[in-house]
Amino acid sequence: MTNKQNEFPGTPLREGDFKENKILYYHDVMKADFAWDTGIAIGSYLAALKNGYLLGSYCQTCRKTVIPPRTVCEWCFRPMDSYVRLEDTGTVNTFSLCYVTWDVKRIQEPELPAVIEIDGASPLHGIMHKLGEVDPEEIHMGMRVKAVWKPPEEREGAITDILYFKPLKEGES
Amino acid sequence: MSLLERDSLAPNAWLGNLPVTSRYTAGVAGERFFRAIQDEGKILGTKCEYCDITYVPGRIFCERCLAELNDWQDVGTVGEVYTFTLLYENLDGTHRDEPLVVAFIRIADGGLIHQLGEVDLENLSIGMPVEAAFKPQADREGSIKDIEYFRPLPT
Repeated sequence: MTNKQNEFPGTPLREGDFKENKILYYHDVMKADFAWDTGIAIGSYLAALKNGYLLGSYCQTCRKTVIPPRTVCEWCFRPMDSYVRLEDTGTVNTFSLCYVTWDVKRIQEPELPAVIEIDGASPLHGIMHKLGEVDPEEIHMGMRVKAVWKPPEEREGAITDILYFKPLKEGES
Repeated sequence: MSLLERDSLAPNAWLGNLPVTSRYTAGVAGERFFRAIQDEGKILGTKCEYCDITYVPGRIFCERCLAELNDWQDVGTVGEVYTFTLLYENLDGTHRDEPLVVAFIRIADGGLIHQLGEVDLENLSIGMPVEAAFKPQADREGSIKDIEYFRPLPT
């Protein structure tokens, strides 16, 4: 229907009309601050990141180790039994080469998001993060990677305390 | 440490902020209305001949009969206080000692919500005539704030 229409009613505006102040408009920046309760398990996970390690949780009944940690087991709905300190190495489960930023700007060097199965967690359990120090062409599923951390004094208890995961070289475990 | 206990050293909350921005354009009628304030220090309305109503601020169609309105009229800068309120709180919730006087000022068949200034709180009353106090032309930027406030007409 609309593809047959050539002239729409209304007043078309261009970006330049705003930039060159040809039209009157009000630019609003909404104050949208929020505080998201971390909960028990994620709070401990963030505290662990600040201290430079990854934390999972373990269910004895199901023999599952998950990361990020949870207080309740997803399979048996019982409380998880313990926190487990995990390695900061893992295996690329899936990845993408992303040529747009979160606010849809084109970039030449791709971002490299990947899901990484963390060593010590149950198979197929891992976290999403970025890859770095790697030729995008060489990324493959099953690639072994290791976390690159911020220096301890710059860590703030956030997933970004890990800068990215870089490939492990031959011989490293 | 039990899994059901909060780690006292762990952060309780994740603090963040959403980058929400917007542009609200004045529109065809708003453009004309605010430009008149900015360039000429005039308040414009539009008149619907059929309904005998003069809208302030001016708009491009009649709300009652939906006719297009082209009859722009200078409605003057004097109106009367239709209703008012005293604000003892700022936008951020902090207390203010001197209240902000906000009023709806009736002009022709419409009106504007604006501040009152140079006004004695004791003598504030509904129906009192007020006139627009414009900023100096150089400081105007095509906004409702080009009118600094409305003040009582000298008697």
